[in-house]
Amino acid sequence: PVLPEGWAGEKDFNPIGSLSAATQRTIEPVGPHFLAHARRARHKRTFSEDDRI
Amino acid sequence: MAETGSRPAPGDRTVIGLVFGNSNSSIAYTLDEKAEVIANEDGDRQIPTVLSYVDGDEYYGQQAKAFLVRNPKNTIAYFKEFVGQDFKSIDPTHNHASAHPHDVDGVVSFTVNDKEEAVEPSTLSVSEVTTRYLRRLITAASEYLGKTVTSAVITVPTDFTDKQKAALIKAANDADLEVLQLIAEPVAAILAYDARPEATVEDKIVVVADLGDTRSDVAVVASRGGMYTILATSHDYEFAGCHLDQVLIDHFAKEFIKKHNTTDPRENARSLAKLKLEAESTKKALSLGTNASFSIESLIEGIDFTSTINRLRYEMSARKVFEGINRLIEAVVKKADLDVLDIDEVILSGGTSHTPRIANNLAALFPESTTIVAPATCATAINPSELLARGAALQASLIQEYDAEDIDQSTHPAVSTVKHIANALGVVTLAADDASSESFTPIVPAETAVPARRVARIAGPKNGGDVLIRVVEGGAHIKVTKPEPKQKAETNGAKDEDDSDDSDDDSSDEDDEEEEKREKVWRIGNTVAEAAVRDVKKGSQVEVTLTVNADLSVIVTAREIGGKGGVRGVVKAP
Repeated sequence: PVLPEGWAGEKDFNPIGSLSAATQRTIEPVGPHFLAHARRARHKRTFSEDDRI
Repeated sequence: MAETGSRPAPGDRTVIGLVFGNSNSSIAYTLDEKAEVIANEDGDRQIPTVLSYVDGDEYYGQQAKAFLVRNPKNTIAYFKEFVGQDFKSIDPTHNHASAHPHDVDGVVSFTVNDKEEAVEPSTLSVSEVTTRYLRRLITAASEYLGKTVTSAVITVPTDFTDKQKAALIKAANDADLEVLQLIAEPVAAILAYDARPEATVEDKIVVVADLGDTRSDVAVVASRGGMYTILATSHDYEFAGCHLDQVLIDHFAKEFIKKHNTTDPRENARSLAKLKLEAESTKKALSLGTNASFSIESLIEGIDFTSTINRLRYEMSARKVFEGINRLIEAVVKKADLDVLDIDEVILSGGTSHTPRIANNLAALFPESTTIVAPATCATAINPSELLARGAALQASLIQEYDAEDIDQSTHPAVSTVKHIANALGVVTLAADDASSESFTPIVPAETAVPARRVARIAGPKNGGDVLIRVVEGGAHIKVTKPEPKQKAETNGAKDEDDSDDSDDDSSDEDDEEEEKREKVWRIGNTVAEAAVRDVKKGSQVEVTLTVNADLSVIVTAREIGGKGGVRGVVKAP
């Protein structure tokens, strides 16, 4: 949408809410993308750190 | 995951994917990242899970299956389900025509004469039977590959208990096979498709219907960024391949009695065994052609029997089973709290999935947007009998370089059990023609495991200017539009079931025209954050990246494509 007049936020960003609901589920430990996830989780890396390696 | 035992070093492994089924098993390996299913020395890719002893010689696979007619007592079949089970919890229905399982201190055992004549028959535990059978499979794979197979990934049903898994691993270890990992069957099927070079990783909801011989398993899986989360499963023993065989057995047995006025061939064990084998091959022929023959030499009382059947007649007789499969799939979609409109793909796996009618029925059950991946409905479908083995082989090749401890740690629940967001996360967009109607564009779909990162491009305003990016949660729901004219007197109480029942029938119902229209719509939920991207050029796009962290905090970045700067902000965890 078009920015309304007079809209302002710190550095143009306004956090308003947060995620409301999540469920605990188990990912199937299969496939290249899971293995990448496991690698990140075990080394406590973020996505962007992982991208750089 | 495996118990300690012989564990080869990662460099010395030769790995295969192994499917150990109740009726058939298969083996596969990977060559240059492509999975290939291995044929055994009989030339079979689907190797019957049967073990038979004749004069002290051991037979397995197709050869052993043929001995179900002449040597049923020394032939062991349908034993996979018994691995790791107590005797009192097993269902021996399928074993009536072969060696019967019996109770030895709670352990399921078979008594067969596996030695030369005039020796006491041996009592083998189901674990020992499994070890012997797996050894034959490994030998077949080793001979084909020219080197000794050391390790494998084995597929298991989703309802396999830890006890069953442990027993299977032990039986495999006893056959000198290292089990790298046990993977769930529906996930193996999806991986077989997703690992193809032409496949792209997408966020989608997949239903995997694994239609086997003695059981049918259906699973609803959320495929998110190439990671799979099982949302619901269902297992059924009433609607499977053997029930289709039974339809043909009954059909031809009746025809035989009518023609020759003799004893019912179903009442004689040997005649029934012949009927069963021939019915299965006729069924397979009917999956490929529209006509098939059925012939048995000396069926009963020395009479030969030859007949034919066309596919239409077969589909009519088997209608009950087909409808059962439809209901099974509908039920599991409902169990996952979803609607058929939510399903993006249905993957048919297992031998019974070759049946064209089943795929066609599902195409009618699901909306047109749903892809039914089966040979009858999709040109690029992989042979459904080979899916699991391919998936297992691919997984085996992915992890063969890992140390055993690495595999155990990576597959530990602490790593795999994470939060999945319950609502979709996306941005509010305006329709191109109507600037006042707001709609929701999902970026991170519901049931995505966190941490997750998604990038989406949304169109900027037509005339350029400043853009407000509103990140909101979205909930999908099904909007039912009732047809306006001629309402029937009776109200449709169960609207959900109603129209799907109609689509089961291939004959068009008379109230087809009145069918209510159901569509999936998004409801805009609570706003998570707002960001401004200023001075966007005319007609350009804005790239929005949403990263949901493990603690459910959200990082929002937005920038104009080709532009400089952009905004970045963090929403705190709830």
